[in-house]
Amino acid sequence: MDDMEDTTIFSTLKSFKSLISGPDHSLLETEPAYGRSDLQKLYTKRVELEEAAERVRSHTSLLQLTQEKQQMELSHKRARIELEKEAHSSSRDLQREIDRNRELLLKIRRLEEKEEKANQALNEQMENNKALKRNLEELHKKANEKDRKLTEADQMISELKDETRRLNQKIQIQESKFSTQNLEIQALQEQLDVQRKYELPCTQTHTELERRLALQEQDSVIVRNMKSEMVRLPELEREIKRLREENAFLRETKENNSLLKEETEGLRKKLERVERVMEEKLKAELEKEVNSYTHTEDSLTLSDLSREVIQIQQRELNLKQQNYTLNSSIRSVEKARAELLPEIAQMRAKAQEEQKKRENQDSLVRRMQKRVLLLTKERDGMRAILESYDSELATSEYSPQLMFRVKEAEDMLQKVQAHNTEMEVRTTLPIMHTKSFLQIPALGQEMTFYLYTCMCLFFRQKIEELEAERQRLEEQNNILEMRLERHNLQGDYDPVKTKVIHLQMNPTSIAKQQHADEVEQLRLECQLLRDRIRKIEAGGGVTTDDTTLIIPPSQEILDLRKQMESAELKNQRLKEVFQKKIQEFRTACYVLTGYQIDITVENQYRLTSVYAEHMEDSLLFKSTGPVGSGSMQLLETDFSRTLTGLVDLHLFHQKSIPVFLSAVTIELFSRQTVT
Amino acid sequence: MSKTLKGITLKGSAELVAEFFSFGINSILYQRGIYPAETFTRVTQYDMSLHLTTDAKLKSYLTNVISQLKEWLFDCTVQKLVVVITCLETNEVLERWQFDIECEKTAKESSAPREKSIKAIQEEIRSVIRQITATVTFLPLLETACAFDLLIYTDKDLEVPEQWEESGPQLIDQSEEVRLRSFTTSIHKVNSMVAYKRTNSM
Repeated sequence: MDDMEDTTIFSTLKSFKSLISGPDHSLLETEPAYGRSDLQKLYTKRVELEEAAERVRSHTSLLQLTQEKQQMELSHKRARIELEKEAHSSSRDLQREIDRNRELLLKIRRLEEKEEKANQALNEQMENNKALKRNLEELHKKANEKDRKLTEADQMISELKDETRRLNQKIQIQESKFSTQNLEIQALQEQLDVQRKYELPCTQTHTELERRLALQEQDSVIVRNMKSEMVRLPELEREIKRLREENAFLRETKENNSLLKEETEGLRKKLERVERVMEEKLKAELEKEVNSYTHTEDSLTLSDLSREVIQIQQRELNLKQQNYTLNSSIRSVEKARAELLPEIAQMRAKAQEEQKKRENQDSLVRRMQKRVLLLTKERDGMRAILESYDSELATSEYSPQLMFRVKEAEDMLQKVQAHNTEMEVRTTLPIMHTKSFLQIPALGQEMTFYLYTCMCLFFRQKIEELEAERQRLEEQNNILEMRLERHNLQGDYDPVKTKVIHLQMNPTSIAKQQHADEVEQLRLECQLLRDRIRKIEAGGGVTTDDTTLIIPPSQEILDLRKQMESAELKNQRLKEVFQKKIQEFRTACYVLTGYQIDITVENQYRLTSVYAEHMEDSLLFKSTGPVGSGSMQLLETDFSRTLTGLVDLHLFHQKSIPVFLSAVTIELFSRQTVT
Repeated sequence: MSKTLKGITLKGSAELVAEFFSFGINSILYQRGIYPAETFTRVTQYDMSLHLTTDAKLKSYLTNVISQLKEWLFDCTVQKLVVVITCLETNEVLERWQFDIECEKTAKESSAPREKSIKAIQEEIRSVIRQITATVTFLPLLETACAFDLLIYTDKDLEVPEQWEESGPQLIDQSEEVRLRSFTTSIHKVNSMVAYKRTNSM
């Protein structure tokens, strides 16, 4: 709108300017041609145009102004809106700021709390730090101590290392010795190998011969055993004969036994028959007698009866004797039989054993015979082989030389054995001996190589044995040295060369003596206390006999005594103080009241006045009623009789003791001063 | 007079060794607690602080033994000195501190002093005494009341004065032994070792 208005304004201004410039030109050009009417027209036109221009100007100015005004208003509105916006925004900012403030305050508070906590934590950590520092110091100390110990341990280690070095040196020396010996042994072995190569075939035959020799030896041993066993044969045969005779004898005894048994059986049967017969006889006789008695009752006479009775008794006795003898004979026969039975059993067992032995012997004999046959066959075979060898080896030309060689070989063997014994003594010079051996005149290659192999084998065995012994001895030596060292450390000594001495009065013996004395003392005390307790329990009271002990007072008693003493002291002091005070008080009373008050008897008070004429003048008061109530009564004394008037007045009428007393004082005082 | 700066004579060596024993025995008595610690004072010897007893009886006993020992060291007739620690209640030997003495007999004949500096000898003695102190760490505690005795191993034919009597070696039953350092004055060589009764807990 504004732009449109501006453009209209500008367009109108342009049109106006063009109009003004146009008519100006036109006016100037046409002035002379047309005259005044044209000029007036022109002038009016101009004036109209100017008015129009003025109108246009004012219109444009108005428009401008209105536009300006609108613009102003617009700008106002804009400004206001902006201001309002700004106000809103500022208010929002304010609120935000306020909120932020609050938040910040909260944060500050929280931070302050955190700070406090952090401070506390700091303090705790400081304390922990201090404790840790202390621990550190202690640990440092411990570390220092450990360092010290370490250094000492290092020293010990260095010493031990020195010892190990020494031992290592020793070991090296011995190892060098070993190596030299090994080299020598190797040289010997090489020589042995060289010699062996030449000896292989011989060794083989040699081994075969050896085997055969061994077999032959075994066979000879077997033959010897066989011979010894064969020697035993006649003895065995003798034993067998003896056993057979015993057998026959036993069989006879057996037959005798059987015969005896039959006899005993027969005897028994006879006995039985005899007994039966006897019984029957007796019965028959008894019947006869009975019959005779019944028949001859008349002719009975006592003597006949007695005679018959005696006869019968005699017959009975005889029969009994016969019975007894028969029984005894039976028993003896039975005993003999019983004795014979085990013997028979033994004999039978022996006979069986002998039979077994004989059978074994027979089987052995058979085996021996077979073996003898085999051996004889083998021996024949060997003999044949040897003969064949001899025949093979031997030609008619060489046999004497071989025999000569064999003899020389035997001589060499003996010499070699002697050399070997020398070798056992001199183990370090094997080479010399082998050289000396080599210097021996060569017989024939076979025999020398054979001897060389023997010697080498022997040497080797010896070397091994010596090595083993040496190692063993070394180990023993080490063990013994260790033992010696141990014993030395423990304090062992050789009683032949050393003795151990110490002072008689040494701390250990003194301490032991003191210990023993203490123990003895305590025992005695215990015993005495026990006796005392027994007496107390029996007596029921503390006896002051010889069982009184000087028991040292216990701590309690000492404390109590001390307390007692202190209490007594306190008492003493209190008494003194009390005395002093009471003395003071009494003197004060005496001085102030004029009476000396003494308590003569319980509840009786004697008052003596300052101004008393005689020493004995005193008033006696007795306290009546409960203690502390203060009610007093005057008692009669010589002095009180002289004061009856005052007594009547003050005590009976006025009933006041202080007044009475003061009256008495005044009276006495007046008496004194007047006189 | 005997300990010349140039070398060590037999007499000087005997004095050095006797001095070492005097301080060594005091150290052992203090470390093992045979006598209460408050009866010991500190003295400086061998450039270190050592303990010496103030108990009069003990002092007199030690001087008695050490003076006799010095004579025998001079005569080269003493072989060992042993400190035996016995438990009073059970009469068992609990510890044995043994010092072997090897004497160069040739020093008796020749009177020429040997070349060895006193400093070196003192250094060695110092290390021995330090080691004695350090052994306390592994020796078992002596919990019961103990007493000690000094034994001397001498040659069999030595004439001993009246106050000395023969005694047994007082060996420990079932002992563990530890060998300690040694020192030498070039005339006398002293090897130290300690044996103690094996405790059952081991």
